[in-house]
Amino acid sequence: MNRERAVDVFLSHITKRYGRILANDGVTVALKPGRIHGLLGENGAGKSTLMRVLAGHILCDEGFIEVDGVRHAGLTPGAAMGLGIGILSQDPLDFPPLAAWENFALGGPPRTRKQARDRLAELSESLGFSLRPDEPVERFTVAERQQLELARLMDADVRLLILDEPTTGISPEQKDILFGILRNFAANKGRIVILVTHKLPEAEELCHEVLVMRRGRLVGSFEPPYDAGLLLETMFGPEAAKAATEPEITGQAAMAAIRVREAAAPQKAQAPALAELADAAFSDEKSALPPVSLSLRPGEVVGVAGVAGGGQELFLRGLAGLARIRSGRYVLGGADMRGQGMAAFSRAGVHFLPASRMEEGLFPGLSLADHARLGFPRETGDLRDLFTRRFVDRFHVPNQPTAPASSLSGGNQQRLLLSLIPDDTRLLVAESPTRGLDVASCVQVWEHLHALAAKGTAVVFSSEDLDEILARSGRILVFFNRRLTADTPAAGQTVRGLGRHMTGRAAHSATKSPA
Amino acid sequence: MKSPSPASINILSALGLALAATLAVLFFAGAPPLTTLTVLFGGGLNSTASLLKTFSSFIPLFLCATALLATYAAGLWNIGVEGQITLGAVFAAGFLRLPDPGSFPPALALILALTAAFAGGALWALLAGALRVYGRVHEIFSGLGLNFAATGVTLWLILGPWKRAGMASLSGTEPLPEAFRLPGFAGKPASMAGLVLAVAAFALVVWLLRRTTWGLKLAAVRQNLKAARLMGLSPGRRMLQAMALCGGLAGLAGGLLVTGLYHRLIPSISGNFGYTAILAVLMVSLAPSFVPVACFFFAVLLAGAVQLPMALELDSSLSGVIQGVLVLAFLAAGRMGIGGKLGGKLGGKPGGRLEGRLTGDTT
Amino acid sequence: MDVLAATLAAVLFAGAPLALAALGETLSERAGVINLSVDGTILFSAMTAFVVAQGTGDAWTGMLGGALAGAFVAGVLALVGLWLRAPILAVGFILTLLCRDLAYFLGHAHARQPGPDLGVWTIPVVSDIPFLGTVIGRQSPVVFLSIVAMVAASFFLRRTRAGLHLRAAGESPKAAFARGIPVERLKVLYCLVGGAFSGLAGAAYSLGVKPGWGHPQGAEGAGWIALAIVIFGGWRPSRVVLGAYFFALIQVMGIHLQDFLPGLSSTLFQIAPFPVMILTLLFINIRRSGRFRDAVQQIPLLGRLAGKPPVGAPGALAGVLDQDAA
Repeated sequence: MNRERAVDVFLSHITKRYGRILANDGVTVALKPGRIHGLLGENGAGKSTLMRVLAGHILCDEGFIEVDGVRHAGLTPGAAMGLGIGILSQDPLDFPPLAAWENFALGGPPRTRKQARDRLAELSESLGFSLRPDEPVERFTVAERQQLELARLMDADVRLLILDEPTTGISPEQKDILFGILRNFAANKGRIVILVTHKLPEAEELCHEVLVMRRGRLVGSFEPPYDAGLLLETMFGPEAAKAATEPEITGQAAMAAIRVREAAAPQKAQAPALAELADAAFSDEKSALPPVSLSLRPGEVVGVAGVAGGGQELFLRGLAGLARIRSGRYVLGGADMRGQGMAAFSRAGVHFLPASRMEEGLFPGLSLADHARLGFPRETGDLRDLFTRRFVDRFHVPNQPTAPASSLSGGNQQRLLLSLIPDDTRLLVAESPTRGLDVASCVQVWEHLHALAAKGTAVVFSSEDLDEILARSGRILVFFNRRLTADTPAAGQTVRGLGRHMTGRAAHSATKSPA
Repeated sequence: MKSPSPASINILSALGLALAATLAVLFFAGAPPLTTLTVLFGGGLNSTASLLKTFSSFIPLFLCATALLATYAAGLWNIGVEGQITLGAVFAAGFLRLPDPGSFPPALALILALTAAFAGGALWALLAGALRVYGRVHEIFSGLGLNFAATGVTLWLILGPWKRAGMASLSGTEPLPEAFRLPGFAGKPASMAGLVLAVAAFALVVWLLRRTTWGLKLAAVRQNLKAARLMGLSPGRRMLQAMALCGGLAGLAGGLLVTGLYHRLIPSISGNFGYTAILAVLMVSLAPSFVPVACFFFAVLLAGAVQLPMALELDSSLSGVIQGVLVLAFLAAGRMGIGGKLGGKLGGKPGGRLEGRLTGDTT
Repeated sequence: MDVLAATLAAVLFAGAPLALAALGETLSERAGVINLSVDGTILFSAMTAFVVAQGTGDAWTGMLGGALAGAFVAGVLALVGLWLRAPILAVGFILTLLCRDLAYFLGHAHARQPGPDLGVWTIPVVSDIPFLGTVIGRQSPVVFLSIVAMVAASFFLRRTRAGLHLRAAGESPKAAFARGIPVERLKVLYCLVGGAFSGLAGAAYSLGVKPGWGHPQGAEGAGWIALAIVIFGGWRPSRVVLGAYFFALIQVMGIHLQDFLPGLSSTLFQIAPFPVMILTLLFINIRRSGRFRDAVQQIPLLGRLAGKPPVGAPGALAGVLDQDAA
């Protein structure tokens, strides 16, 4: 294979079905050498499916892929790599307990340990990474794992590099480094980059061409200068686009946002604390946080930011009663919760909304009505009535009480989980409450969370999306390297500012900020 | 003509598969196939006496299979049933050895002995359950280890503290006085009381699992342990409850073996009923309504197999071979999807590459 | 001194089949396949090995027969559990019961008969060295086989490309698939290899450690111990083999203690390893728990002993046999 030649890739009428869902519906794309293509679309639009077909991870039901003029009805991962197609997956597809050099060598040509380590060092040097070759990858940050994967793909000399939501879980600065590398990569030898994202600014910043997918179809292709309004409308459709761009301005949400900010205002600080952490140190099986002290007031909406593995995950779980309290105190409603089980936290009015909804929140094989029965055990009346009133009418869960939870889409899973939150919840801990949801579902989630806050529930949530944190919370906590590095009102904060806290450079950059 | 239903095609293909495998085994052993199968199936059915023998195996088997429905409902792999039967037997025998047993009316003494058996089995199961819930020891290992430990306890009692006057013998403890034996059936030790208890237990367990919130909670624990914890269902406590119920019923079976069949404590009193019950429950893939059928079928095999050494100089373990082959055949037929619906429901085409696992979300 | 040497020799001897079976299961589990049929496989292959050795008059042909029998059982597991994707724990468990009964049924005619065994190898120079000679100089071939198997398995997993692929498939099947590693094929392959090791273990019993065939064969329950040893040894060959010797030591001690405590039945000593098995699993799980590490780290000296969090199960098996507490 002549890797010096510009690559020429054409996807024709790619169709992929998952049961009743048409993930890709006859997508045809020609990719042009030397360009960075943005692939935009909201969650569930079919972007990842298309890219996995291209990388050989899944087979399409119809259509073909043409590379350098040769038709392929379907690719395997090995065949795709052979053609020079490599993908950097959204969740790093690596081997956490294996050493970095082993991760690097897997799937590549046969090499001795020394050869692999040398090659990895060489590539790291040229890319500006510092990766410890003998360390197991599970001790790496998400950014480092991504860098290791990039080094591996560069080593395989890929000509078409796919990146699926690469900026999730890394800081804005790490993003800048990554984008620099991508620009260099595409500028060389007519290679192609595809950046899959649902974030418009990223595409605008980096891409020579933007392709938009919606509901499994390719619905538009744009070149700079980009018209943001038009792009959004293509992504979401005219109605939802408005909600996606200006969440604060839609009636209810606007009121909620104002209340959220008010709750964080200093004059409300005298309100008695709902929860008080005094040097509380959380631990789980694998890791531990140093002691944290803070208090939460009723009605507060607190956004928690941090790069993946920064410690915010454990903090949220600790707050919800799912991690041990090693030392210190966690006073909730007047009682110290240290050593208490989940049941005690529930009685104290704590509720946890997990990010992996099906894995941690729902019972795949049980019916929706069964979920209602389990969630409201004290409900003595007719269960059907409760289901219709609360689940269907109020939260728009599908009116199929006997359907199993496994049949629900992501949005409906979250609707079911929302309807299971008791109305008298005093502290709601939500882990990435909008991850993977379409715009309409996101709006519904936030309407409900803000409504709860308006009635006095303290809401603590995490998100990988700093914009979401800035837009939705009244107060922001930032974690870096397992420490709480910032606890600040949301007003006046910027994405860049939060990013600096997330990478521990806040103090450092403050000194040179005049420049 | 109506075409046969998918389920019946599955059952037929499983039976065919199992028959073929059994014939292959018989061929290897050099046994005459037809005669062997006649002895095996006829031995448990061809006379009143052999029917009663079949029933005396059916009762403990059915009770244990019923017991297992509770733990399977909670997603627990309770393979410690053998030990739980044994401890039930030990507790029942122990109670009836208490000094001055005559102070109770015999009927009350028997009821109390069976209650003790229930408690003994539940205790042994709770030990495995606690190891799982608090010690994270998988119930497969704790259950199995406790089976061996229970055997040890029995042997120690029979050869030590409870040995027969003047001699320690592996033939068991001193037989129970007549008054403490459950009434037999037509002079044979197949107790009607045991059958009634087993059927009642089955009805109770099925009702609990299907109709009560407790049953729903067990199903929730089985479906998703993490979610059950988040929803405040206290999965640990549910698991312990399921284990206790299961162990209790298995212990009851042990108590019935002591008071109704052997009339004393003997080594290996559990007689493989625990393991056989697991096979029976697996064969009908946890569909409770077929549990009695599977148990009866296995009981016929057990009763027939006892006659193999005498009639044909074959080892009685043939019944276990056929049971194992049958269960495997049922699992395989269910997965091959010959019958369409069942195969489809259980999911996945066979042998496909990892595709299914790589397509978790469709973002 | 002599007693110690003799004890060590006995431990190496009694631990050899356990080590073989546990090594096989280690390979299988590292590739992502839990084979619960080990106990039945050992009995079935012990019977096969004995019958083959008896028929051919050659114990080593019997060993080969045992290995093939083990691979055959693993093949059934692969067919039903991997290819047809029936629940693999259930299939393994059924196979364990099935193979046990099958062994007794098919072996009925060969029970309690004389047959060849593997005998003893005398290592020329070593056997003359005082202490070492007793321990390792005159030993059954199965002892050497188990040691060679440990070194080979350890080297294979750590140092070879194929070993890396095995670990990759077991750690993250998805990632391995995405890199073009034939995960399903590797799982079947190492399931068969693991089965063959269990088969060798069975043969090691009937042709070496507990020679002959009978009902019951002395090896009953060994497979379950081997399964627990794999967890105990943290899925690492060297530690797994140490675990096998630990359990062999308990058995050997039992035989010794019988002389001192004649009141207790020998059967009681035979079951002793099982409560110990539960306790060892309990011990390693407590040691793994964060609560324990927190507590230990409060104490200055012990804190160091706690060290790094111990290695868990291969990624593909995480939570199957060492699940989270409820």
